[in-house]
Amino acid sequence: MNDEAILAGIADVARVHLGWEGIVTPDLRLVEDLRLDSIRLLTLAAEVENRFRVLLDEADEAGIETVGDLIAVVRRKIGA
Amino acid sequence: MPEEGILDWLERAGRRPSRPEGGLRFVDRAERATWFGWAEVRDRALAACGGMQALGIERGDRVALVFPTGIDFFAAFFGALLAGAVPVPLYPPSRLGRMEEYLCRTARMLERSGARLVLADSRLRRILGEAVEEVHPALGCRTVDDLPQGSAWPVRTGPSDLALIQFSSGTTVDPKPVALSHRAVAAQTEILTGFFPDTPELRQSCVSWLPLYHDMGLIGCVFPALARDAALTLLGPELFVARPALWLRAISRYRATISPAPNFAYELCLTRVSDADLEGVDLSDWRTALNGAESISPAVLRAFCARFARWGFRPEAMTPVYGLSEAALAVTFSDFDRPFRVTRFDREGLAREARARESADGREIVSVGRPVPGFRLRIVDPAGHDLPAGAVGRILIQGPSLMDGYLGDPEATARALRDGWLDTGDLGFLREGDLYLTGRAKDAVILRGRNYAPEEIERATEGVPGVRAGCAVAASWLPEDAPGEVLALFVEASRQATAEELAALPDACREAVLGTTGLAVEHLEVLAPGTLPRTSSGKLRRGETLRLYLAGELAVPDPAKSLRLTGALA
Repeated sequence: MNDEAILAGIADVARVHLGWEGIVTPDLRLVEDLRLDSIRLLTLAAEVENRFRVLLDEADEAGIETVGDLIAVVRRKIGA
Repeated sequence: MPEEGILDWLERAGRRPSRPEGGLRFVDRAERATWFGWAEVRDRALAACGGMQALGIERGDRVALVFPTGIDFFAAFFGALLAGAVPVPLYPPSRLGRMEEYLCRTARMLERSGARLVLADSRLRRILGEAVEEVHPALGCRTVDDLPQGSAWPVRTGPSDLALIQFSSGTTVDPKPVALSHRAVAAQTEILTGFFPDTPELRQSCVSWLPLYHDMGLIGCVFPALARDAALTLLGPELFVARPALWLRAISRYRATISPAPNFAYELCLTRVSDADLEGVDLSDWRTALNGAESISPAVLRAFCARFARWGFRPEAMTPVYGLSEAALAVTFSDFDRPFRVTRFDREGLAREARARESADGREIVSVGRPVPGFRLRIVDPAGHDLPAGAVGRILIQGPSLMDGYLGDPEATARALRDGWLDTGDLGFLREGDLYLTGRAKDAVILRGRNYAPEEIERATEGVPGVRAGCAVAASWLPEDAPGEVLALFVEASRQATAEELAALPDACREAVLGTTGLAVEHLEVLAPGTLPRTSSGKLRRGETLRLYLAGELAVPDPAKSLRLTGALA
């Protein structure tokens, strides 16, 4: 799966589960730009796992600040 | 006085073969269940106890626990108790949250608890490194599996020994470690089990997604199940938040009679559970849906009952309750088998006269019921004098499960506990014996069942360009018709702030709070310097700030007055 497909999946999660109506781009920051509070960050993590059938642990999640960071982690997990 | 305690229940569970239905069931995200009878839980706890003793854990030592919901938490928790030690459950990091903030908070809590040992899940252990290094607990940080092998020598603790330390609001600024004795925990458990007797026709069982570092999850669900040798089905809190339907499906599947949650959980079900998620679900066995730990919205209660009636949910199951970790949990319960009670009270009377007068078009407040057995309640004025029914005042409580105090903080303990009465810091009134909550006298922000110290939220605004240093107030309250409490932030702009800084200030403050605390600010007010009310010694008055804001009176003080004040201080 390429980055574009992963981005499309994340955008879909944001639309369906987080009510995000704008365009999702890799440079968007989860907290500052998507305005996700702790409950919604958790929802994003869980729904991304469901969609891509991956499991992210705390070490994977540390340092994720942008949509692009999340894409990179998902890509690595799918490949693993 | 309870005759038995946690260790007696645990011993009994291991001595005679556990009833086949007594134990812990963990449900994962694919809804697969793993079952551990109480006897097996005890065996694992004994092994952990032996390991901790081989390391050098002794009676009275504090052992911090950082685990997701799972069997290892219980091995560590009961193992520490068997060794005579005092478990201190701490929360694991929230997903995708800022790790530095989490580590900083955890280090403060480890420090305050004086933990000699930290036990953690293997994944969390790697992350905790930094916090642990900073505090340097004598026996380090380990997983349950890498404890040394050793024979367990269970220690007989007495009723006055500490059984548990819970952080009522775990923060960097003002951590409040609530110390509970074995006596208090046993008394609270006895109160709770008294409400849910088993009969030949009915075996009570509970489903919970509540965190185990929170009183409602640990004391409210785990101890009664152990004491009654009953089944408890657990889901991780992160699983519930991501997929609230799993909670309702577990209640249906395991035919739970009891399941508690804070108001926000019922609201989350309304917004995030679809009809398709509930195919085949039957909620008719759910007799008691306890609702506590935060302000309760009448609108959410009604909507939940209406929406889930189709799946057999009974409106009389919805049971508003009131409690706090300083009382080990429950203080008042609404009657069972009766629909919840909502009454309207005159707004002006509540806001200006501290009187509750019924009024057909007034503000709706949910009754949280009457004191549970053994508890007494007083409503007092600021001078400590008892108030009559219908007058709003501070709620003081007395009962068999009050905390010993805040660990290592005699001053805070003396403020909270006086002559055997606990000042809850909550405001309310009595009407026909029922308690109604109207607000808080204490500085606490309570959102989604969790307490936050306002200082922590306010501190996030430090360094935001244009904010006057030390001049921010955070507060939360339940607006009428809102589904839950909302967070407000009041910040004074600095006199030197440029027009650009002022324009960017609201967004910058929201981002700063969201980034460091994970909380979304609902109302943000930028104020002129000198607007926030202060005490004569210059401390911010948070309760007064909120009161003025809600009354539409939060404005710059009269210059003549502030001059006089300056003069008086000089």
